[in-house]
Amino acid sequence: MRAAFDQRLQAWLRRRQGVDRDPVLLHRRRIYILPTRLGIAYAVMVFAMVIGGLNYNNNLALGLAFLLASLGLVAMHHCHGTLSGLGLRLLATDSAFAGQDVRFRLLLDNRSRAPRPRIGVVLGSAAFRPVDVPAIGSTTTEVAVAAVRRGRVPLARFVLETRHPLGLFRAWAVVHPAYVAIAWPRPAEPGVAPPGVETDTGGAQDHARGDEDFTGLKPYQAGDSLRRIAWKAYARGRGLHTKQYAGTDVVSHVFDWDSLPGLDVEARLARLCRWVLDTHAHGEAFGLRLPGAVIEANIGTAHFERCLTALALFDRGDASE
Amino acid sequence: MNDAQPAALRGLDGVLVALAVAVAAHVSSLPTWITLLLVAAGAWRWTAHRRSWPLPPRWLRVTAAAGATVAVLASYRTLNGIEAGTSFLVLMAGVKLLETRSSRDLTVMIFICYFLLYAALLRDQQLRQLPWLLAGVLLATGALMRVHAGTVGDSLREVLRRTAVLMLQAAPLALALFLLFPRLPGPFWGIAAGESARTGLNDEMTPGDISDLSVSGEPAFRVRFLGPVPPPAQRYWRGPVLHEFDGRSWRRTRGQAFPQQEIVAVGEPVEYQVTLEPHDRDWILALDLATQWPQREAYRSFDFQLLALRPLTELTTYRLGSYTRYRAGLALPESVRRKDLQLPQEGNPRATVLGRQLAARHSQDPQAIADAMLRMFREQPYVYTLEPPKLADNAVDEFLFDTRKGFCEHYASAFTFVMRAAGIPARVVLGYQGGELNPIGGYMLVRQSDAHAWSEIWIEARGWVRMDPTAAVAPERIERGLIGSVGANEPVPGRLRQQSEVWFQVSLAWDAANDLWNERIVRFSAAGQMELLERLGVEDPDWRALGLAMTASLAAFFVSLSAYLAWKYREPPKDWPARLHAVVARRLRRRGVEHDPTEGPVAFLDRAVGACPDLAAEIVAIRDVYAALRYGPLPTETDLRRLKFLVNRLRP
Repeated sequence: MRAAFDQRLQAWLRRRQGVDRDPVLLHRRRIYILPTRLGIAYAVMVFAMVIGGLNYNNNLALGLAFLLASLGLVAMHHCHGTLSGLGLRLLATDSAFAGQDVRFRLLLDNRSRAPRPRIGVVLGSAAFRPVDVPAIGSTTTEVAVAAVRRGRVPLARFVLETRHPLGLFRAWAVVHPAYVAIAWPRPAEPGVAPPGVETDTGGAQDHARGDEDFTGLKPYQAGDSLRRIAWKAYARGRGLHTKQYAGTDVVSHVFDWDSLPGLDVEARLARLCRWVLDTHAHGEAFGLRLPGAVIEANIGTAHFERCLTALALFDRGDASE
Repeated sequence: MNDAQPAALRGLDGVLVALAVAVAAHVSSLPTWITLLLVAAGAWRWTAHRRSWPLPPRWLRVTAAAGATVAVLASYRTLNGIEAGTSFLVLMAGVKLLETRSSRDLTVMIFICYFLLYAALLRDQQLRQLPWLLAGVLLATGALMRVHAGTVGDSLREVLRRTAVLMLQAAPLALALFLLFPRLPGPFWGIAAGESARTGLNDEMTPGDISDLSVSGEPAFRVRFLGPVPPPAQRYWRGPVLHEFDGRSWRRTRGQAFPQQEIVAVGEPVEYQVTLEPHDRDWILALDLATQWPQREAYRSFDFQLLALRPLTELTTYRLGSYTRYRAGLALPESVRRKDLQLPQEGNPRATVLGRQLAARHSQDPQAIADAMLRMFREQPYVYTLEPPKLADNAVDEFLFDTRKGFCEHYASAFTFVMRAAGIPARVVLGYQGGELNPIGGYMLVRQSDAHAWSEIWIEARGWVRMDPTAAVAPERIERGLIGSVGANEPVPGRLRQQSEVWFQVSLAWDAANDLWNERIVRFSAAGQMELLERLGVEDPDWRALGLAMTASLAAFFVSLSAYLAWKYREPPKDWPARLHAVVARRLRRRGVEHDPTEGPVAFLDRAVGACPDLAAEIVAIRDVYAALRYGPLPTETDLRRLKFLVNRLRP
C-alpha cells in the first residue's frame, strides 16, 4: 500500500518536474529544505532560552538566544545556497554483471565563485558519502544501483542533498535523469570448456601467424608476398627467398548461440558470458554468433564489453546499444 | 586528528575546547570538586581517544550519573536555580564524556555548552565577560560544524573562520530581534533567589575579622545627579543600620517592629538616579537621608534604611531624592532607645568604664561626650590602616587601649560602644562614603572599596546625628578616599590609576563603557523599545508597531542575506565575446531557437541562420566576427567593437 503510493507519488513528481536532460542545473526553485532532527532539537533549545530570558527579564540571555536563532536562520540560507545552482551531468556508466552494482559516475559542476561542500547522493539505503565541490571546479561522485537482472538498468530518480554548514537543515533536490547503464548476464559457473578453436573463420591462415619477429629465410614459393622477398639475398645471387616471421599464436574462438541446444535463453546467455569472460582473461580472440547479430572475432577490452553488451541486451529491444 | 579514528568522533577535540571555555565561565562559583571531576573526565576522555582505550561499561556510567545527581542534591538541596543547575550540567557533561561514542553524544555536549554559556549570562551580565562568552559560542558552533557538516580536511582554524563569518552574518538579525522582540512585563514563574556570594556590604560587622571589601575595585553603584553634585564630605550612602551588639559582632534588628520616626528636611533636596549592581540583599544605597523613592518598589524603615521589596538580584535603577541636612527622629520611642542602648552583660570592661567616665566628666551632654571621644581618636596615636592586627575576645578594649590600629569598622564599633556605655543611644551605619565623578559618562561611580562604617547618636532636640570617628583619625579618608589615607605599601585598588594619567583615563573610559552597557543593553526594556520606535519616527508606538517593525526587519534581513548569497555564488564574468554570444542566444530564443548547452557557439549560429532566414545576413556576420575573435590568428579591438555593433543591431 505504502510502496504503491510512493511509486505513484514519484511518478507524478517525475511527470510534474519533467525528465532532466544533461547537463542538469539545479535551479533554486527545485531545492527543498527542512530542518533535520538536530535542527529541531536546536530550535527547541533556542525556544527554551527565549522563554527563560523573557521570564528572568534578562536581556543578555535573550541576546544569546537571538544570536543562536539568527545563526540557525543564516545556516538555513547557506544550506540552500550550497545546492542551488549546482550543475550535474553523467560522466560515464560502469557496467556490471547482474547481481552486482552498476555505477553511474556523475560530475558535480560548480560554476560559482564559492565552494559547495558536503554534497552527496541519496538513493535507497546506501551510505551517504558527501563530496566537496571546489569553487569554479568540479568533483565526481557516483551512484551505485543494484542490477537484479541483465539488460538496461535505468537511473530514473535520485536525490542530491547537503547539510552544510551546521547540520541543522537538510537541503535536497530530486533529479529525474534518463541515465541507463548495462547489466551483463550473470556468468555461468565455470566447468563447461569453450568449444574448440575454429580455423575456418577469416580464410586460410597458418597456425603460426604474425609478423613481429624475423626468424629466417625459406625458399620462395609461388604465392608468397612480393614484400617479403629477401631482395638483398637475391642481389647477392643466392636466389629467391622469402623472409620468415614469427608472431604470437592468436587463437580465435567463435561462440555460437546454436551450439547450446537444450538450454533456455538465460542459461545459454550465462554460458556464453562465462566463455567470453574466460577467453578474454586468457587473451585469446573470440567472436559471437547470436540470432540476429554476429560479432567477428577480435581481442581487447572494447570488444569484450561489446560482446557482453550484446549478450546483456539480447532479446531486450535494440541490441546495437 | 588522524585518519584511523572513527568518522563519528570527528570533532571531539573541538567539543572539549568549547566545553572547557563554557565551564571556565563558571569556575569561580562552582565547587572545586566539580571542576576537578570535570577536568579529570576531560583529560581521561582525550587520552582514551588518543590511545584507543575502551570506554567504561554501562553500569559505571549509570552509577556516575546517579552519583552526580545525589552529590548536587546534597550540596544544594535542589536541582533548580542557576547555581545548582549549572553544577548539575557540568557534572552531566563529565558523565557524558565517559560515553562519547557517536556524533549524537558530541551534539549533546555541544548543547550543554550552549546552556552553560546561557547560565553564565543569567548569573552575571557584566561587559567584561562578553568576549569570553562570545568565544564560547564561536567554539561551540564551530564544534557543531565540525561534528555534523564540516568538510573532512578542514583545520580547526578554517572551521572557526567559517563559523565566525556565519556569526557575523547572524549579528544584524540578532540585533534586530534584541531591539524589537516584545518584552514581557512580568515573570511566568518564580525566580530563584540568588544563592551566590556576591561582593557587597554585609548585614553583620565584626571588627577584627578580615574584610576583603576594601581591596575590591568592583563598582557598587553609579549615580547620575539631576542637579548639583554634593561635596565629598556629604557623600554618605546609607546602607544597613546595625543595632545589636554581642561583644564581637554588630547586627541588624530582626523580628521586632518599631514605630516610624519623623524627618524634618532642611535646605534643598538632591535629586538623582542610582543604578545598583546586584548584591542579592534588599537595601538600596541612598544618599543620607532619602526622602523620595518609588513607593511601589521600596520602603523606608524606622532607622531610615531604604529597602527594596525583593532582593536586588539584577542591575536595578531607582530615582531618588535626599536631603543632606535634616533633623531625623526628634521624638525617640522608648523601644528604639532601649535597643540602641543595649550592651552585652560582660566583656570590654575598660571601654565600659571609659564611657561612664566621659559621661560623668561632661555631665551627660551627648555632644560633649562625642567630641571628647573624637578628640581622643585624633590626639592619641591611633592609626588608620587596612591591615590591622587581629583582635580576640574583648575586641573593643583591645583596639581602644592596646593595638590602636584599625579602619572604619573598628572606629565606628568602638565609638558606638563607648557612647552606649555613656548612656547615649547610638548605632552603627554601614554604607559607602565617597564616589568618583566620571566626566566621560557624566555620572559618579562608587566602588566596593568605598565601603564605610560610621556611627549615629541621638541628641535631644537634634535627633539622630551622624558621627564619623574615622574622619577624626584620617580626615583625608573622607576628602580624598581610601588611597589618600593609608600607607603607601598597603594594597588598595586603583593605586596604579592614581599614579598614571594614561591609566586613569583608560579606567574612566572603561567604566563609562560599562555604564553605557548597563544602561543600553542590560537594562533595555519595553519602555526602551517604545523610545527607540519614537526615535525612528513612529508616532505613539504600541505593540503593533513593534511587531510590524520586527517583521519588516526580518524581511529585510532575509532579502539581503539572499542577495548576498546570490552574489557569493555568482559566476565569474564571462569574457566579452562569450557575453555577446549569450545576448544573441537570448534574443534568438524569442524566435524559438534554443541554445543547447552541448552545442558549440558557431554551430548554434549556423542552425539559427537556417531557422531565421530573414536574419541570415546579420547572424552570419556575427558568426564570422565571433569566430575571428575566438579562433582567428590575430583578434583585434576593432573586431570586438564590430561584434558589439552587430549584436546591438540584431533585433529579431
